[in-house]
Amino acid sequence: MVKEYNIVITGVGGQGILTAANLLGWTALREGYKVRVGEVHGMSQRFGSVISYVRFGENVYGAMVPEGKADVILSFEPVEALRYINYLKKGGLVFTNSRPIWPVQVSMGLAKYPSHEEIKRIVEEDFEAKYISFDAENLAKEAGNVISTNVVLIGALTQTPDFPLSPETIREVIKVSVSPKVIELNLKAFELGLKKANSLL
Amino acid sequence: MAKVTDLVLLNKPNEKILLLGNHAIARGALEAGIAVFAAYPGTPSSELTDTIAAIAKDAGVYMEYSTNEKVAFETALSASWSGLRSMTAMKHVGLNVAADSFMSAVGMGVEGGFVIMVADDPSMWSSQNEQDTRVFAKFANVPVLEPMSVQEAKDMTKYAFEISEKYKHMVILRTTTRSSHMRGDVTLGELPEEIINKKRRLGSFEKNPKRFVDIPAHSRNFHPKILENIEKIRTEFNNSPFNWIEGEGKIGIITSGLSYAYVKEALSWLNIENVKILKLGTPFPVPLGLVEKFMKGLEKVLIVEELEPVVEEQIKFWAYDKQLNIPIYGKNIVPRIFEMDTKRAVIAISKFLNLETPLNFEKLEESYNNINSSLPPRPPSLCPACPHRNTFFAINKATKKNAILPSDIGCYTLGVLPPLNAVDTTVAMGGSIGIAHGLSIALNGALNEEIENKKDTQLIVATIGDSTFYHTGLPAIANAIYNRSNVIIVVVDNEITAMTGDQPNPGTGDTPHGSGKRIPIENIVEAMGADFVEVVNPYNIKKTTEVVKKAMEIDGVRVIISRQVCALHRVGQMKRKGIKLPVFTVNTDKCTGCRICINTFGCPAISWDNETKKAKIVPTMCWGCGSCIQVCPYGAFEVAKEAE
Repeated sequence: MVKEYNIVITGVGGQGILTAANLLGWTALREGYKVRVGEVHGMSQRFGSVISYVRFGENVYGAMVPEGKADVILSFEPVEALRYINYLKKGGLVFTNSRPIWPVQVSMGLAKYPSHEEIKRIVEEDFEAKYISFDAENLAKEAGNVISTNVVLIGALTQTPDFPLSPETIREVIKVSVSPKVIELNLKAFELGLKKANSLL
Repeated sequence: MAKVTDLVLLNKPNEKILLLGNHAIARGALEAGIAVFAAYPGTPSSELTDTIAAIAKDAGVYMEYSTNEKVAFETALSASWSGLRSMTAMKHVGLNVAADSFMSAVGMGVEGGFVIMVADDPSMWSSQNEQDTRVFAKFANVPVLEPMSVQEAKDMTKYAFEISEKYKHMVILRTTTRSSHMRGDVTLGELPEEIINKKRRLGSFEKNPKRFVDIPAHSRNFHPKILENIEKIRTEFNNSPFNWIEGEGKIGIITSGLSYAYVKEALSWLNIENVKILKLGTPFPVPLGLVEKFMKGLEKVLIVEELEPVVEEQIKFWAYDKQLNIPIYGKNIVPRIFEMDTKRAVIAISKFLNLETPLNFEKLEESYNNINSSLPPRPPSLCPACPHRNTFFAINKATKKNAILPSDIGCYTLGVLPPLNAVDTTVAMGGSIGIAHGLSIALNGALNEEIENKKDTQLIVATIGDSTFYHTGLPAIANAIYNRSNVIIVVVDNEITAMTGDQPNPGTGDTPHGSGKRIPIENIVEAMGADFVEVVNPYNIKKTTEVVKKAMEIDGVRVIISRQVCALHRVGQMKRKGIKLPVFTVNTDKCTGCRICINTFGCPAISWDNETKKAKIVPTMCWGCGSCIQVCPYGAFEVAKEAE
């Protein structure tokens, strides 16, 4: 069992980030780990930038992943991966949904949204990390509902090299966590994300 | 990952589950056999309150959403006086509201265990300041417990009731955003029979004016007793299961609450083993017997705590009296502002021991700052379909931006951000009306004053939410009406306490135990004698603008109730019922690309298409209110299709 594993989940409030973090937390608990999940509730949940942490292992005490110690960043929105890139360890991995959500100030013309190439370059060159992006929202739609985007991304996360949690345990947790009528949909979303990431790595 | 209510009521002692800190405190309160709980919600304390509300009937607990923290405090206090274990919860600034009763009641003591959960917010994730409740506790001479894990949060809650009852003294359980909103593994304890059997317990009150009436003749007896009690509790804390010494060496680190977690992680990151740690769960009163034992043989000591030097001051005070001549580091190297974390602990310990940090944090920060400064900011925003946006839009339109706009604490504070820019001041709950009144007096004078060479009247339009209005807006509006103020007060009434998670309030009418009595705001202000009272639905922007203009035509205290249920609440309910929302779209033939929708209204669902140079709607974010139709002068928005 690993002594410390750190996942940072980022995105925009309302994208299902807390649910994803909770699901991973329960999976780690089921596999016998000591678990910490860090969340911020309240005002920042209102369409603002959101960060959540999932950590497990004997050496883990606090809820927050220390800067420079995340094994992987799972991002629901491209620019949000970059906003928290300081958490990633050298040689870490970024999985991101490729669909940008423009902040109001970008629409107003007061700020610029970086290009996809630029985001990739910064992650790979400045932070010496691996960057993988794909349209998770599209896969969620293929699974049956855009709401399952977070489960698509969790499917992808399991393909991180040396990822300590087993996909089978995640499937078990999904089955007991979501309402019976959407179990199939979520399992499908999970498989789609898993396969997609596998093909990209 | 079962439902929270099922988890908190799970009758399986020794079962290990994952719980949020606040849920664990709810469980701890149940394990302690709590009978009465009263609170006003406030981030980061709200999940505790909501969990107790959700399980109240199933656990035989009386729970109420009180109108403010002071009322909640008094409700729970008198339940304790009646022999029942009782609890209240609030955010740190809530204790300021409760402070009048809190400070005076300490010496009256308790009967049933009485625990005040106060959730601090270092770094201000959802708050207006970052005050440290441990300072407040010390000021009031109330013992304070602070957990370092979710397990401790649960266990400490039960312990807090026991200590409170043993010493007949109220106890504060202090959390922070991180301990309240951290999920962690928890091993459950036993639930008492009364909770399992849903037995609602009633208390009995014995009259004792010498104790319960704080006239000076009685109160003079309180203070010596309080100090005597605190010293007894200090001694008790030498043996508290939440205070311990671990490790060996000549170097010592003293740490309290969640800072212990960061110290442990920092030491492991730095590969340091020969350090002696004094872990404290009771930052006030610090157990000096344990401190004395810990200090023996040490050459130097570092105190790691978040925010104020509460532990540090007590220990340095003690060390001076003991003529202890070793260096004690604290706030000279541990930051006093913002929240503690592992990085900060690593940097402090490295300084303390003259070591290199395992990562070059300065270099990391530098390269990160370069990137971060180029990223588009993404502050939180009002939701799509939020009625507050419409109200602000109408105020801006009616006043032509010539008004001063005091506002208040709630989601609508976000009206400060562009493009609305419709909030000029906020201070504290209910502050909008007092500030608006003060500005009116300072800039215009009261309506019953005779002022020579009077300038044009400065228009002042305050906004305040429904829950905030009941919380502390009531005395302020009575003051404004009585003192002949000249202001417009717009109550942005979304019929719920939205910011903290959709709690009911007197405008909603519901309570956790069934129907309460609904108190319409228009009835209150009419009874108080407001000069103008009108209710309007902000989803009708034109009508709302007209009502504001109509109010601008007269003098006096004019109250507009802008009423439309919270969109997040409404949409959530619709989704649960499977009701589909209409989704809007942009007709690109009609859109001129003028950006009026983006630059004056700012719904997060409306975005800019760089290729077509026209507005577009992000279908997954549109909640179908159709307000954009009223905003666009060219009729470019129309209903698209059924939502997914």
